[in-house]
Amino acid sequence: MGHSAASVAELDFALVGHQENWRAAADVLAVLRGPERTPLPDDEIRDILPWIPPRAVCHVEIASTTGTKARGCYIDSFIAPDRLEDAYMRDNIARVREAAAYAIKDGAKIVSLGGFSSILIEGNFNQLPERHGTVFTTGNTLTVSFIVQGIRKMCALQDVDLRRSSLLIVGATGDLGSGCARCLAPGVRRILLHARNPERLRKLAAELAADGAEVEIATDLRHFSAAAGVVICAASLASSSLLLGRIAPHAIICDAGYPKNLSPGAALPGARVFFGGLGQVTAGLHFTPDFHGILNRHPFPDVVHGCLLEGMALALERRFEPFSQGRGFITPERVQEIEALAARHGIYLAPLYNADGPVEEVLDCHAAAMM
Amino acid sequence: MQPVTDLNCPTQYTSLSPTALIWQDVLAQAMTGELMAAMNYTSLSEICDDPAEVADALEHAAGERGHAAAFAAEGRKIGVDVPNNVNAKHWKRLREAFLRCISERDFIACLIVQEIMLESFAVASYARVGKVAPGSLGKVFAAIAAEEEEHIDHAMEILRNERASDPQRFDDKLYRLHLEVMTTLAEMLARDCRTGHCEVCHGSCVKPALPDVSLSAAELRGASLHQYLKTLDKLGLPGEVTLTWVTQLPV
Repeated sequence: MGHSAASVAELDFALVGHQENWRAAADVLAVLRGPERTPLPDDEIRDILPWIPPRAVCHVEIASTTGTKARGCYIDSFIAPDRLEDAYMRDNIARVREAAAYAIKDGAKIVSLGGFSSILIEGNFNQLPERHGTVFTTGNTLTVSFIVQGIRKMCALQDVDLRRSSLLIVGATGDLGSGCARCLAPGVRRILLHARNPERLRKLAAELAADGAEVEIATDLRHFSAAAGVVICAASLASSSLLLGRIAPHAIICDAGYPKNLSPGAALPGARVFFGGLGQVTAGLHFTPDFHGILNRHPFPDVVHGCLLEGMALALERRFEPFSQGRGFITPERVQEIEALAARHGIYLAPLYNADGPVEEVLDCHAAAMM
Repeated sequence: MQPVTDLNCPTQYTSLSPTALIWQDVLAQAMTGELMAAMNYTSLSEICDDPAEVADALEHAAGERGHAAAFAAEGRKIGVDVPNNVNAKHWKRLREAFLRCISERDFIACLIVQEIMLESFAVASYARVGKVAPGSLGKVFAAIAAEEEEHIDHAMEILRNERASDPQRFDDKLYRLHLEVMTTLAEMLARDCRTGHCEVCHGSCVKPALPDVSLSAAELRGASLHQYLKTLDKLGLPGEVTLTWVTQLPV
């Protein structure tokens, strides 16, 4: 019968996620449908997907450079890509709850809430179902680590001195944005914080200023006094109004959103964009059925979002604890701790890339051409 | 094709609402399903050994006939006769699948087909229709959806116990029946009837007209498959496996 329906094994971890766009959703369904069947037409997929209840899509096994392994599953909440907006918030929370309940039922010891799922639960941990021996992490601390590492690496590659740069963080009061701000504020000339909630902005600005940072805040990007040379986009939703009008020519931009904050057609002449928050597993990552390149759609092997990798890294370490919870509690110390933990198991910052492909190779070519 | 039972009083109305003929086809499909369920329960009673089970099956059969009569009555209220055709191609295949379980005297297989598969579709579809149909028509669909859901609860206990005794054997049986029955149900609820007329709708296929009454074939199919997956979850089947089963159904 294709798959054995009867066996259920204990899980070290579960990863809860959703697909970023319809193409990705179609590819997931195509794998499940099997190569011998005609792929579902796009309009059928749009009809069907919103009705699929959250459930496991595949088993995942990750190996550590220490020789240990952890077993888990990927649970898709099947939030439709075009419903990742406020109007569907109630339905989406219900779906994340259902996915969480699924992970608990399957006996996962730790659950990473990826992408939109993590954002929904950041401030609402009391909305999770009753959990017996299952802990939840947003995974945001490791994501912040990879964003910060990515910014430093890109600046080094581009010969940009971060200490002389103005850093703009879009979505600054979110968990990712505030974590990045705390990590990077001491090492930049000025930090520009953008978000929708002025009260939260003021609070974060006061905290950073107390530590000696030069801070500006604005709810409208056009109101900053200076153009930013380095930008982190960490907003919870893509926004057509995110025009980034106050960025310097040749600014370095890290798009760390999931879904991506910047639309592929965003007019950013001269900007050097890369996708942030991604890590790479170096000791082995296996999906059953084989979802390689489907669930992790990146131009490099075994690249996964930091939020999901955090749960896997903690599972490899046998530290089943809610490492990242709530919003606004990510500190540089916690970032260093999870970074070191991940590195112990061979999980590092992924090679940088953007919508056009790998970034580092291009930069290497440019550098070689100039020599 | 002759209806298996004539539950309709001939009616003559001079004017119909613009949507009456759409509801007529919706009612016809529902009524055919109810009459087939009544036939299935009657057949089931013939293979039950326990007198209590026999009585239970016959009671269910009577209940399903009552639902069919209620749908016929709703048709009359809006000025249409509600036809039925349990020999229509899809319904006939479903009936034949059930009768194979009967011929094998497989009580559990009968419950799986009727309660897990057919009733999942009935409950989900009726509930959706109940939300949008006007007046008493909507109330009747919603009330029958609730009653059918109780049927499922009753059967679930038996099926859960059966699965507990030998999960692999149970799941293999369910998968075999899924391929046979759910394939037919998926074809019935495909966006359009690509294999020709369903032999229940009074004229052309009703599916393209469903948006006129705030329904769609896609919505009915989606809700039905959702209900089916949730029912299989309650039985304890792994969700990743049942998801694969459902994604492999025809569209």
